[in-house]
Amino acid sequence: MAEFYVTIGLEVHCQLLTKSKMFCRCGTDYIGKAPNTLVCPVCMGLPGSLPVLNTRALELAIKTALALRCEILSQVVFHRKNYFYPDLPKGYQISQYNFPIGINGEVKFFSQGVQKSVRIKRVHVEEDAGKLVHEGPGLPPNSSGVDFNRCGIPLVEIVTEPDLHSPEEARDYLVMLRSMVRYIGASDGNMEEGSLRCDANISVSPSLQELGTKVEVKNMNSFRSVFRALCYEIERQRTILEKGGTVIQETRHWDEREGVTVAARGKEEAEDYRYFPDPDLLPISIEKEQLQEIEKTLPELPLERKERFMMEYELTEGEAGVLTQEKDTADFFEACLKEFHKPRLICNWMLTEVLKNLNELNIAISESKVTPEALVELIRMVDKKEISGTIAKGILEEMFATGGRVREIIARKGISFITSERELEKIAREAIEKNPQSVADYLSGKEKALHFLIGQVMKMTRGQADPEMVKNLLLKELSSGE
Amino acid sequence: MTVDVFREFRIRDYHERLRKKELSVGELLEAFLGRIQNVDTQIRAFLSLNEEARAQARELQENVPEGVFPPLWGIPIAIKDNICTENLPTTCGSRILENFVAPYDATVIEKLKKAGAIILGKTNMDEFAMGSSTENSAFGPTRNPFDLRRVPGGSSGGSAAALAALEAPLALGSDTGGSVRQPASFCGVVGLRPTYGRVSRYGLVSFASSLDQIGPMARNVEDCITLFEVISGSDDRDSTCAPYPPFSRQDIPPEREIRKMKVGVPREYFASGVDEAIVKKVQEILDLLEREGLECVEVSLPHTDCALEAYYIVAPAEASSNLARYDGVLYGLRGEGSTLQEMYFQTRTRGFGKEVKRRIILGTYSLSSGYYDDYYLKGMKVRTLVRRDFEEALEMCHFLITPVSPCFPFFLGERTASPYQMYLADVFTIPSAMAGIPGISMNCGYVDGLPVGLQILSGPFKEGWLFGLALFLEKALSLVSPFPRLPERS
Amino acid sequence: MGKKISLEEMKKVAQLSKLQFTEEELLRFFQDVNEIVAHFEKLDQLNLKEVSPTSHISWSQPPMHSDDPAEWRGEEKVFRQAPTVVERYFIVPKVVEKEER
Repeated sequence: MAEFYVTIGLEVHCQLLTKSKMFCRCGTDYIGKAPNTLVCPVCMGLPGSLPVLNTRALELAIKTALALRCEILSQVVFHRKNYFYPDLPKGYQISQYNFPIGINGEVKFFSQGVQKSVRIKRVHVEEDAGKLVHEGPGLPPNSSGVDFNRCGIPLVEIVTEPDLHSPEEARDYLVMLRSMVRYIGASDGNMEEGSLRCDANISVSPSLQELGTKVEVKNMNSFRSVFRALCYEIERQRTILEKGGTVIQETRHWDEREGVTVAARGKEEAEDYRYFPDPDLLPISIEKEQLQEIEKTLPELPLERKERFMMEYELTEGEAGVLTQEKDTADFFEACLKEFHKPRLICNWMLTEVLKNLNELNIAISESKVTPEALVELIRMVDKKEISGTIAKGILEEMFATGGRVREIIARKGISFITSERELEKIAREAIEKNPQSVADYLSGKEKALHFLIGQVMKMTRGQADPEMVKNLLLKELSSGE
Repeated sequence: MTVDVFREFRIRDYHERLRKKELSVGELLEAFLGRIQNVDTQIRAFLSLNEEARAQARELQENVPEGVFPPLWGIPIAIKDNICTENLPTTCGSRILENFVAPYDATVIEKLKKAGAIILGKTNMDEFAMGSSTENSAFGPTRNPFDLRRVPGGSSGGSAAALAALEAPLALGSDTGGSVRQPASFCGVVGLRPTYGRVSRYGLVSFASSLDQIGPMARNVEDCITLFEVISGSDDRDSTCAPYPPFSRQDIPPEREIRKMKVGVPREYFASGVDEAIVKKVQEILDLLEREGLECVEVSLPHTDCALEAYYIVAPAEASSNLARYDGVLYGLRGEGSTLQEMYFQTRTRGFGKEVKRRIILGTYSLSSGYYDDYYLKGMKVRTLVRRDFEEALEMCHFLITPVSPCFPFFLGERTASPYQMYLADVFTIPSAMAGIPGISMNCGYVDGLPVGLQILSGPFKEGWLFGLALFLEKALSLVSPFPRLPERS
Repeated sequence: MGKKISLEEMKKVAQLSKLQFTEEELLRFFQDVNEIVAHFEKLDQLNLKEVSPTSHISWSQPPMHSDDPAEWRGEEKVFRQAPTVVERYFIVPKVVEKEER
């Protein structure tokens, strides 16, 4: 099969985490609300209504553009994008055209172990449209319903240059982008809830020099969908080209159920959006001082933090990657280190037990009842061998459930400490004395006998000894002579 | 107790009688309601009347303020029908909004209510403010009280006619290319186009957003000032509204200062094409001013004749976008249609009148791909040149004086055949609107019983100067019996 | 500029603006609009190369709103006069193209 080169560009929309809408004071927490409750004359486009910009939306958009290393333009100008659709009450969307917030940025990310870079063409800000429902109880036949709760929510649009060359790269870029917008607090970046949306442009070509026909793919609702849709498209386009056909430039929708892309129905000739500067919104100048203030609020970004974790804490890329994917997780980790600087130990606990508990409870680390201080308390005790690892895991599970602290749980459950190795030594000797047959068996080569002895010590300590420590002590006693 | 609307027509007079308890708010209101009943079938200035007016008058009367009255307390006012009033229709003179009742009050309406005014009703206008004669209203034209065969001007023709017919002592209009000044001129009343951004547009149904302004209209300059003080000032619901406090009459220079000021006379406004009788009347005013000590100098506004074309590129373009919201989904007329597209087409085709459709077509074309640079961009550039003309001219003088209209109020039907001929009626009011500067239109005399309007222009935020000169002239002219007697219904 | 708009272009523009004309009406509009456009030719005589466009009349930085939400609560008044409202949804003829946003 001949070589084919894939070129992908992604256009991502993120809903900004503001409490009020972009051009009016309506609230933004529309999920689960009854239709048309978070509305007002402005976001419903009533005659005579006018837009007034939300400063926080502007701030978050600039913050996003800065995080993406864009050059920020000195003036913010809004343009109207004119077209008719029921979820667009004014008959135009307030967006940006030739004066976006930022241009010429870059995102670095890892894909299959290799560092990649994708150029960001532009970052701009615009208002979201309302929602359409096509079926539902009470909906008259042959009709659709419009809900304007979502209309007017601020969106930031991030457009890449066609620098991605595989579905894996596309997905990994999205994962990094999502991580970044969550780090800076600009967006939730949740595709399933609609706070992150992605459209793709993909072309396939037999030659490196010439790009193939660009096809737009829409309606992908998860990172996995994006991956699958792009894989499908590549196959589809390759098949056409191999048979000597031409790929049609068009928009296709991803059908999640069937696993195929379908040509979008009956779009008349390309829409002419007749962009022009919105006369209801005056241009806003961005002062250098303002930019500097916003820049100061940028946290250490995921890639940089991961690299620092790897270097400073001697973690592997995989470990650092998991710890830094969410800012809250990385913050939690470093808060633990502040209390108890043992990166390797804390990392192990976090990557195994902590994440396991969070998954089982289906909560985010920010909702955890276990604080960094509490976790450290537990880990210290294990480290000092005051309790066994096994016991500690059980205690941690209880801490996650109730929010209690170690010592309180230990007291309540009557778990006693094995505080000195000496005490364990005593018990080991006792076990040896009480079981001369097992000792004899072990010394004559039966390994199983050792396990029996370990079991005896564990029984005598009611399971509260560290099995590893017990084994070592027994071996010492057994080998030191009879 | 009655009011002789012919003799007493200042807020000052009404407030004096109200304060002395010679008159009640209800009686004052009845004088106008009665007048509307008697003459409005001939004039047709009003599209709807406020059913609650009498109840509101009673409520005001029950709470007469101690001390100083709020500036418009108990004063009835007519509102152009493109300004949103809660519980009263806002049709914009269009079928597409025939049954629309705004669920909120425009900022200016809130201010009027706070100042104690009573809304009389909504006045007729050219559909969506597009026109210069009020003949483009979907509900029939308004007639000029000075000659019922003639137009009152437009698009605020209903407001201007209501004032001239003494159906209301105050009115609000809107001015995009002259829609307050030109009807004020045709009806012999006072109308101000404020500096762009001086009055909030929140609640004014948009025609051309970068040009629209709500303007106060009255039968005399002093009342216009009072009304302007109430409606002007910053509004955090309008991004284009300048963040300054309301106008105050403290900013009006005293007469002795006015006498020292310089008047500019732009030669392009007196060229051929202007009715000679109008030129003569304006010249009489200039002579009067010179006699009184003001210096008159000739200036030039070289891009005057390009301003009209640039306006008819920029304004329809903005309008085509502003009117896209009338699609039958949420409010207003909805056309029959089993599909969405059919619904859109039916709604807009049936709902809009000819002139509106013309401008939407023109505007959409100016913005469309391939034509934007040649049309809309060019229009915006010419606007810069027009602005510069005024900036330079106003460096040499305090005011510019011009006729408001090149012609007298024309007959109904006279200009409806040619759109461009109709557009020419605004040739003297459009350029200053493009520049965003304020202008006042006031009556300066009559020729064969028809009023002639004088336009005074000045720099941004110089309404104080405009009012100063207007007061000065009003006094100097002391026009007698300015308002026509109309045959009353028996 | 000042060049006549063709009938084809007018039809396209009418489509974009969702306006329907009979052949007769279209012809009338065609004449009227072109009469106006013909006058635009005047602007070609101006030298606009170095002139920057005025897109807004602006005297200062505009007002902006801070990020604290406020409720309006007037939607019942809108429902009352909307063409069709069912279960708080504004109803329109079925939208065929699934433009998922």
